[in-house]
Amino acid sequence: MPLWPKLNSLWRSLMERQKVEDDLTNEIRSYCELLEQQKIREGVDPVTARREASIELGGAEKLKEEVRNVRRGAAFDVLGAELRQSLRGLRRNPSLAVLGTTMLSLGMGASIVVFSIFQSALLKPLPFRDSNRLLAIWETRLDRGIDQASFSEANFWDVRSYNHSFSEVGAYHYDEANLTGLGPAEKVVACEVSAGFLRTLGVSPILGRDFSYDDDRGGFRNPVVIIGNKFWKTRFGSDPNILGKALRLNDKAYVVIGVLPPGEPWIDDQLYMPFGYRPDADRDSWEFQVIGRLKPGTTQEAAQVDLAQIAGSLAQSFPEQDKGIGFFFTPSSTWVASQTTRRALWVLLGAVTFLLLIACLNIANLLLARGTARMREIAVRTALGASRARLIRFVMMESLLLNGFGAAAGLFVAYVGIGVIQSLEIRGIPRLADAGLNPWVLAFAVFIALVTGILSGLAPALQAPASGIAAALRDGDRQTSSRGQGRLRNILVTGEVALSFLLLVGGGLLIRSFKELMTVDRGFHTENRLVFTVNMPRSYWERVVGKQFLDRFFERLKANPQVLASGAVNQRPVEGGDPGMGIDTPQSSAKPPWAGWRVVTPGYFAAVGLPLVRGRLFGENDKPVWIPKDVPPYPRRVIISDRLAKQIFKNEDPIGKQVLLWKGQSSGLAEVVGIVGDSRERGLAENPTLTVYLPYGTNALTSEFVVHTRDNPLALVPTIRSLVGELDPNLPISNMRSFDQIVYRSVAPQRLNAVLLSIFGVLALLLATTGIYGVLSYSITRRTPEIGLRVALGATRSNILGMTIRQGLRPALIGALLGAIGAFWLSRYLATLLFGVKPFDALTYLAVAALLLATAALACYIPGRRAMQTDPATALRIE
Amino acid sequence: MPPSNTNLLQGTLDVLILKVLALQPMHGLGISNRIAQVTSNTFLVKPGSLFPALHRMEEAGWLTSSWGESENNRRAKFYRLTAVGRRQLKQETDLWARISAAMARALKAT
Repeated sequence: MPLWPKLNSLWRSLMERQKVEDDLTNEIRSYCELLEQQKIREGVDPVTARREASIELGGAEKLKEEVRNVRRGAAFDVLGAELRQSLRGLRRNPSLAVLGTTMLSLGMGASIVVFSIFQSALLKPLPFRDSNRLLAIWETRLDRGIDQASFSEANFWDVRSYNHSFSEVGAYHYDEANLTGLGPAEKVVACEVSAGFLRTLGVSPILGRDFSYDDDRGGFRNPVVIIGNKFWKTRFGSDPNILGKALRLNDKAYVVIGVLPPGEPWIDDQLYMPFGYRPDADRDSWEFQVIGRLKPGTTQEAAQVDLAQIAGSLAQSFPEQDKGIGFFFTPSSTWVASQTTRRALWVLLGAVTFLLLIACLNIANLLLARGTARMREIAVRTALGASRARLIRFVMMESLLLNGFGAAAGLFVAYVGIGVIQSLEIRGIPRLADAGLNPWVLAFAVFIALVTGILSGLAPALQAPASGIAAALRDGDRQTSSRGQGRLRNILVTGEVALSFLLLVGGGLLIRSFKELMTVDRGFHTENRLVFTVNMPRSYWERVVGKQFLDRFFERLKANPQVLASGAVNQRPVEGGDPGMGIDTPQSSAKPPWAGWRVVTPGYFAAVGLPLVRGRLFGENDKPVWIPKDVPPYPRRVIISDRLAKQIFKNEDPIGKQVLLWKGQSSGLAEVVGIVGDSRERGLAENPTLTVYLPYGTNALTSEFVVHTRDNPLALVPTIRSLVGELDPNLPISNMRSFDQIVYRSVAPQRLNAVLLSIFGVLALLLATTGIYGVLSYSITRRTPEIGLRVALGATRSNILGMTIRQGLRPALIGALLGAIGAFWLSRYLATLLFGVKPFDALTYLAVAALLLATAALACYIPGRRAMQTDPATALRIE
Repeated sequence: MPPSNTNLLQGTLDVLILKVLALQPMHGLGISNRIAQVTSNTFLVKPGSLFPALHRMEEAGWLTSSWGESENNRRAKFYRLTAVGRRQLKQETDLWARISAAMARALKAT
């Protein structure tokens, strides 16, 4: 069978290589001898016969090479030989190997870091079954400009019952609870979910059971709880007998019925309690996150039509609350990373691609220069019978090898880099803690090593055999043979400079934008402020205990000489949530502005440094706007922010005027008693918010405390802890931070972007500079005789210096110009990440151009000076 | 085994070698001399094409080789046809007959 000899010969050529080789050598030698004898027999004299036989044979090595190439397994053989050859070549030229590997390891390390973050944030699927059928559903009131709002409880139950598109719809209500009885009191996240919520997500408990539909009868009353995996692990040491145990939450016992599998951080470290249908479910307050799992075969569009019908009937049945209601979906893939985060990560990935490309161009340049230096070696190889394909393979192999080393070193750089970035604990980059050198990232590293290997080997490989053998073998042809190559290297350098320009502009814009962000007028003041959370259980709201605690606490704090001001609010500034309402004058018929509302204690404004613009602040007589049924009505009073006042009252004086709160929902009149300054309450990058401040009281408690201290706010931490413990040992303190830290954390993604992009820019600059330097210094060396001649003919030193610098700067100038055009075109993708800076910021562009050209000039100066010192006598002697 | 008739020249060499070896096992120089002889020196096979062809055909299983003594007592490598090689020769001969007939007709027609 033909298969057998094939395998046999493959085996032989791979395993018995020496034997096969000897055999071939003998065969050729025997052929030669036979030929020689034949010629002698034909009457040729022995010396001539030998020579003729050799000529006819045409070079034993070349012949062997040709035979080897037809042999099976030849590819392996050749590959191995070439690999060894390339390794030898690199070892002979350690500076190339070290320089190349270093450059590549930086470029690749950066790429791998960014890719690993990118992969874990954007590519890793949600740990839920069929997550592509999972949608978040939102209410909308497009007529009022609300395009994405949470659900009201009653609307959720209606959508759940009447839809035909989802196999299950679940709701989730964020809540916190005080956990007592396990060491010191602690605030934990305890969410209420509908019985089908976990089924909708596609998560089943690993221990115990899911909520049954019986659990959700009777609103929020059923005392059972499912715990997240991390919660179970950290607080109960993964106790397998946890089921049936009771947890004391808000002074009530809940029985543990299940434990969830490990998963996303936001489902891991919390508790779940069931909430069920109740006929009197609330339709006013939008507090529920709703998710749905599409039935198999149902499209998102079909579901949209289905829900639009439900919206129509809801709007008819409940005109007061559901007028103009609509529904809106977001796919589950967007749950992990926000649009801005996505954009930021894409920009980083793009930037790092450019950086890698620059490193690639640089390697190509190095290899080209090396190719020129080895012109003779290559010519000799060609003369000895190396085929063009083999020479190309040889150069390619070298490039691939170099890139392989680069990738290996890059993995190390990335390992360190990811560790550093993770240690910064940056909020806003999802799943950062999961990023690492997983198989995906390793595959990416191999992929980029191959791609960059081929890319950087391309130019030198095609260049190598093109030059004439004879010319290369002749001495002293160095000036003539490689003008084309000089041009090619100049083009590569131009590309490097252009790409560096892009990166530097990106980095520069982000730095400028970050500076703008940090110096923008925030409205509030952060220095010497301590912020912490004290959560009070629901029972505190119904009795007077909660308000009593607040009053006593602030009274005791005031007595402390370190405390300048103290107050509290129901949502933490910058980091907290943003409950809102429609608010306007009762007379107005226009669309009411949407403003965030905050319950505050009188001291809050002083504590965060918000100035009073007009009117007065709250006093002891201002009571919560929620008037209990058993209390005689009293006048409601509110304070509004400056922008809101201008928007509602235009040029009128708002003090003493009436406003309608929750306009369009459960409206209620209130009097405006004061106007305070605006603040960037939702984060520095957001516009100052429209805010309504409401007075605190028994049924309006506040959990976020702000204390303005004389000195370092963190020094006050022990005092606060002991004070709270003294007043009420059941209340947990959490999230204790300085206000500065909160702001610092909130801009962490922007800072990371600015820092990373700047690092990339500087690396790019470094690489491009090396490129410029390399090309110029090489060309100076080649032109030494010419320069000598010029000097001999009377060129001054400054003439020579000027000439070389002009020559070196030309690619830099063209590159900078191209880079500016490219940056102008690309920076639009950066626009959404910028704050207070336009994508085409002339200052940034000019600064980058100046930096690039100055560095380039410096890189030219060193070879230029060498040229300047050329001694005509020695230079001409080389010729 | 797909016949390697893609390349006319290569095919020519292969079929000539097969034909020559069909008579008796031969060493390289012998093959080359015999081809020159039977084609009246139309084809002079140089070692540069002979050796790769022999080794390729051996890989393909058409030939086997062994060391032996040449006519004047020199060690030489002898090639002999295998059964597969014989079948191959038959196929190639038929093919050549068809091609040459077709070519002859075509060239006469014009």
